[in-house]
Amino acid sequence: MKELIKTLVETNSPSGYENSIRQVIRHNIEPYVDEIKVDALGNLLCVRHKEGALKIMISAHMDEIGLMATHVDQNGFVRFIPLGGVYPHHCIGGRVRFLNGVSGVIGVERTTTPQEIPSLDKMFIDVGAANAQTAQIKIGDVAAFDRPFLDLGKRWVSKAMDDRIGVAVLIETLKQLQNSVFEIYAVFSVQEEVGVRGATTAAFGVAPDLGLALDVTATGDTPKGIKMEVELGKGPAIKIRDSGMLADPRIIHWMIQTAEQASIPYQREILEFGGTDGRAMQLSRSGVPAGVLSIPCRYVHAPSEMVDSEDVENAILLLSELLNNPPKLEFLA
Amino acid sequence: MKTSEIKSILKELTSTPALSGHESALHSTLNHLWSPYLDEVSISRVGSFQALRRGTSTQPCPELLVTAHMDSIGLMVSAIQDGFLRFTEIGGIDPRLLPGQMVTVHGKRDIPALIVQPPSFLLPVEFQNGIVTLHSLWGDCGLPPEKVNQQVAIGDLVSFDQPFLEFENDMVCSPSLDNRASLAALTYCIYELVNRQPAWDSWFVASVQEEETQAGALTSTFQILPKLAIVVDVTFANSPGTPSHKTFPLGDCIALGWGPTVHPYLYKTFQELADQLEIPYKIESFSRRSGTDADSLQLVAHGIPTMVVSIPLRYMHSAVEVVSIKDIQRAGRLIAEFIAGLEIDYLEKIKWDETN
Repeated sequence: MKELIKTLVETNSPSGYENSIRQVIRHNIEPYVDEIKVDALGNLLCVRHKEGALKIMISAHMDEIGLMATHVDQNGFVRFIPLGGVYPHHCIGGRVRFLNGVSGVIGVERTTTPQEIPSLDKMFIDVGAANAQTAQIKIGDVAAFDRPFLDLGKRWVSKAMDDRIGVAVLIETLKQLQNSVFEIYAVFSVQEEVGVRGATTAAFGVAPDLGLALDVTATGDTPKGIKMEVELGKGPAIKIRDSGMLADPRIIHWMIQTAEQASIPYQREILEFGGTDGRAMQLSRSGVPAGVLSIPCRYVHAPSEMVDSEDVENAILLLSELLNNPPKLEFLA
Repeated sequence: MKTSEIKSILKELTSTPALSGHESALHSTLNHLWSPYLDEVSISRVGSFQALRRGTSTQPCPELLVTAHMDSIGLMVSAIQDGFLRFTEIGGIDPRLLPGQMVTVHGKRDIPALIVQPPSFLLPVEFQNGIVTLHSLWGDCGLPPEKVNQQVAIGDLVSFDQPFLEFENDMVCSPSLDNRASLAALTYCIYELVNRQPAWDSWFVASVQEEETQAGALTSTFQILPKLAIVVDVTFANSPGTPSHKTFPLGDCIALGWGPTVHPYLYKTFQELADQLEIPYKIESFSRRSGTDADSLQLVAHGIPTMVVSIPLRYMHSAVEVVSIKDIQRAGRLIAEFIAGLEIDYLEKIKWDETN
């Protein structure tokens, strides 16, 4: 699986420009599903049919945050805007690669004090060109952060764990899973980082009976970090809420019961910012009972996002168990 | 309906916390209040309570949606440390009113607790003066840490524990009056219609999760696909020191919404009807969003002509919200009269070119 993860995270596909990653995922999931479709927005929908069964949509977004060129000056410096949540303090000195293969480094205008964190409009990409003609960058060209997969043993690091690790968990689960109580729609969604757009249309198209997103969540286990009771290595997290949704209590109950019965470690997640494809599914059509299985991840949206391999393994175990345990969807008074 | 009857309905409606995302506890209350007077009751896929009063029209009956959200704000346990609780908010909470509040922690069982703040000299420097944020407040259940760990988990809900207070006039104070006051108005409306014969089908929906994502209104509107919608919610009432151009006098009027969220012809109908019935109202202007379910449901499917009717409320998003029963009656009566008088060909009158 580590090879699969390495391939997934080293494929550059920022939001709206998911062609490369879609091909990689399609190639890797083809043997394990009955049918593959691509919808109008570019979501990859992979179906495992089961007549008469509840239809579950499991969504892992395949896009990543990135940058887009807005201006190339006469000396070849490229100004840019973010695609998704790019933090200025992670950019300085960063390396990027445009989808046309051109690489560059991020430079910054001189700041008034060394403490100041400049905004993105004070930064530029230096592609090593002497002028605009040799820069080989056009306005609108898209770049991804450029870092190789880093294997730290038990823990793995990449610039695109969000959410290629969710993609990997979904592929790996379908590879291992022989049977399910559900008709499964494995959705690899586009444009999550710019407002859960892909999952919105995918959920409308699929019209599932229930929805589960696979995504990363933040952790509170780093020095003077955020106040959050999720740690790396303590198991996958079952989302209770984030700022985009209140996970359906029936889905939370189903996930917790299943994890406890199978003795899989899990954490109860409250994320006070951010959102996932789960929101899009919950709000779709006449409403969908929806939840999120999260993989704890340090430094989300930095070029070095870190996950724990055991959390990843346990996420696969839990997802497999969930797909063999039907939930109760009646409301409890 | 008498003031005392509305008070008792409101008391019943506010006695169940039903925080956003966890509204199913209110289903039985609504079933008890509404279903004897309506023709069909269902629960949506995300938990909104949907009830239909059939119209008399024998032609295909157009459908009207009248909706008020049933969820309320509250807190959620976000961490447990040495037997004390940390909280996150459900919906927007005014943190100035939290220290000293009594709450109920809905753990394995309901546990009484207090929200407390440490003495100021023990707080981070930036919080020693002024308002302490939610992150620096604690919940104290008065239990040893091992008991707390046993009974309470991250994600457990926390609701305000304040009694329903009846002032010596027609005003009441309680948590969750945003938006149970509007549910009381819907109840009033449903009762008023018992002996009337409206032509249209009317769906009365108590929607979920307005305070977070407006999930209930969005999804029930998609399911029902009404031709018109009326959203009932609360708005800011005056209190000492509040500017009159930003608030509405409590007990003196209701507010009729006006702005891009509201369909001008519907607004005109409501305004004329209120004038005719001598129901006092003021205009509530929305520049972009109304801050109600109307913002979502207006945009569902092919688009829904929408009206917003609001009930003034003091101390919004606190544990001590105050409303006037008179305003609830006014809102309920106006909507009932609107429904009763809705002609079968009303939609043909909604023509953009002829509306100003």
